[in-house]
Amino acid sequence: MTTAIAEPASSARKRTGARQVAPRLKKSRAPYLFIAPFYVLYVLFMLVPIGVSLWLSLTEWVGLGTPHWVGLRNYRLLATDVSFHRALGNTGVFVVVAVFLVVPLALLIAQALNTRGLRVRDLWRTAYFVPIVVSPIIVALIFGLIFDRQFGLLNSVLRALFGTGGVDWLGNPDLAKVSIGLVMLWRWTGYLTIFFLAGLQAVPRELYEAAALDGAGRIRTFTTVTLPALKPVTAFVVVTSFIGAAQIFEEPYLLTGGGPAESTLSVTMFIYRAAFQRQQFGYAAAAAVVLFVLVFGLSQLFNRLLGIGRASS
Amino acid sequence: MYTPSPLPRRTLLRGALGLGAAAGLAACGRDSTIARTSGDVTLSLWTHDPGYEDFFAKGVPEADRLTDFRYRLKVTRTGPADLVTKLLAQAVAGRGTPDMVGFEIGSFPRMLRGDISERLLHDLTPDIAAVPGLEDDLLPARTAPYTKDGKLYALDSDTPMVVYYYRDDLFAEYGLPKDTPTWEEFAELGARAYKDHRASMCVVSTAGSDPGQVVQSFQMLLYQRGGAFFDADQKLVLDSAEAEEVLGFLCEGLRSGFVIDISDYYGAAMQTALKSGRVIGLPMAIWYKNYGLVPNVPEQRGKWRVKAMPRFAKGGGTTAALGGTGFGVIKDKSNTRAATEFLLNTWLTHDGQVRRFTETGYLPTRRSVYEDPQLGALKDDFCGGQRLFGLYRDLLSDVPPLHTSPDQSILFDVLAGNLLRAYRGDLSPREALRRSAEEFRDQAGR
Repeated sequence: MTTAIAEPASSARKRTGARQVAPRLKKSRAPYLFIAPFYVLYVLFMLVPIGVSLWLSLTEWVGLGTPHWVGLRNYRLLATDVSFHRALGNTGVFVVVAVFLVVPLALLIAQALNTRGLRVRDLWRTAYFVPIVVSPIIVALIFGLIFDRQFGLLNSVLRALFGTGGVDWLGNPDLAKVSIGLVMLWRWTGYLTIFFLAGLQAVPRELYEAAALDGAGRIRTFTTVTLPALKPVTAFVVVTSFIGAAQIFEEPYLLTGGGPAESTLSVTMFIYRAAFQRQQFGYAAAAAVVLFVLVFGLSQLFNRLLGIGRASS
Repeated sequence: MYTPSPLPRRTLLRGALGLGAAAGLAACGRDSTIARTSGDVTLSLWTHDPGYEDFFAKGVPEADRLTDFRYRLKVTRTGPADLVTKLLAQAVAGRGTPDMVGFEIGSFPRMLRGDISERLLHDLTPDIAAVPGLEDDLLPARTAPYTKDGKLYALDSDTPMVVYYYRDDLFAEYGLPKDTPTWEEFAELGARAYKDHRASMCVVSTAGSDPGQVVQSFQMLLYQRGGAFFDADQKLVLDSAEAEEVLGFLCEGLRSGFVIDISDYYGAAMQTALKSGRVIGLPMAIWYKNYGLVPNVPEQRGKWRVKAMPRFAKGGGTTAALGGTGFGVIKDKSNTRAATEFLLNTWLTHDGQVRRFTETGYLPTRRSVYEDPQLGALKDDFCGGQRLFGLYRDLLSDVPPLHTSPDQSILFDVLAGNLLRAYRGDLSPREALRRSAEEFRDQAGR
């Protein structure tokens, strides 16, 4: 009897326990299920490719058949590859243009657009923003016409104004870099202006009024009120500009093809060229890993220096 | 009466999952490789040029008549470089490869890397050998670019001879003779034409974004002079006396104005140069009429003429070859045989080669077709009613073979940069070539 009574009691407890655990499990599982799609996709399309790239960088592979293990050979070759060094140097120049020219200019334009009483403000904003939404192919076509040595618009203007033209904007290695820098300036400045403009509009008016009462001039107000208030936005813009410029591809690819004599070859173009023009996938993967490490490391450094994500004291 | 109870939801769900998985696995499975030997077949064709699409589509009835198959074509068009990339991606996936592919000659060297061509492409050599007389009739100059280790992997669309295009009206107006025998004498006339009329008689491309185009200007004259980039063993032979002579000739021409540097053979800069009379002549491949002149200056119809290029005084031939597209067949597929027969019975028949010239302007790749009276009688309206085929027939024996290498794109990258430096006077021709060879050897070994 005892057994007979005990058994149902035990199974009843189990059932009760199961009934209690199941909703708990269900409840605790729910958030994971909700975030799971992102992580599944993240693993599939982010971590797996990164892992495969790492593995591929240790192999020699023509794009078909079995990759052949070569260890660190690709990295050793990269260390002595003049083209890769050139690409790193060129990319460094593009990063400097993006961070030290495009970002400050975007801030100045945002400041101008934020001026009280500016007429047709929306028109100005749109005008500055348009370049980023124009197809890079169109941009390359337009700037190709502008920079053409024989019949380009820029040289025609120079000829009309100063009687001298014939500047080889895209054919001279130094000027080709300048030309790419100008296109970057034209294309990216308006886009970054929007971020600064949003930041400027969030700066409390009282701060400006207080600065005015204290007798601060325009420059003083800008350096002591505007800039500190914009620090988080600036930090974001600097880091994203750095990452974007470090991976620059479209402008040099379409305008100069990395030339002349690799003077505008960026690291991403180097990777593309090795993989899709020369069938050196292992070598391309090694270059991609180097770029990833550099961009990741320097972005982290920027994050720390600029205090991104830290609560302002 | 028995009423079946509805299936439980879980069972339905399991069934659906099972069906989905089966469909998914089937979709991921490899293409069937049971060879079709006759009957209805749908060939998947990849090409970059709508002209080829039309040509093959019109060739279907003839192929149906000559083979045991009844063909249908499914065409995919994409850029020449993307076509190779996509083909390799599909090959890695093990499915979705086409049956027939047109490789633009600049992209084909990618297929020569490693064992890609052996793994992926059907060797057409035995098929050609099986047709009596065909092997000897095919021009070796046009099978060379698509041959590796004695195996032919693609059949060229053209014998793209390089000729000299010139403005007949302006040559007459400026008093320029049309039968100057050597480039050297021609350059002297060109310097005078530039001085008196600001008109140039030769063009080099400085298209920074396209190293291939920069190299082409030099390549045409180099091969005419008897030089080459690679030999039959794919070894670099660029650093030669012929190459130095040709590059020196172009650099000198740029300084005298006989040669003009244009940023793009096909775009706005060239159009402006042609329309304004800054360019009154240039050496280029026969297809340039349809792709460069007609679209850019249709109003100059009737004013252009074509002639053989002058020779170099020190040697060489009368022409070179530039461009081409090789059509290959993907191996080990159910449609491999059907595609091979289709290719042979449209691309290589006498009628097919005649039709290819009349419809697309691409010259035959079979020697015997040049004797066809129908082609000899054709007049070209754009060139003032000139009968061009006689000229092409005369040049045929001088078409040099073009040997490529899997490292060709490396050569083009380094050579383009150094050519531009030489054109600007930053490097001597000798130094530009020496550096190109050195940089190539450094990069090709990686």
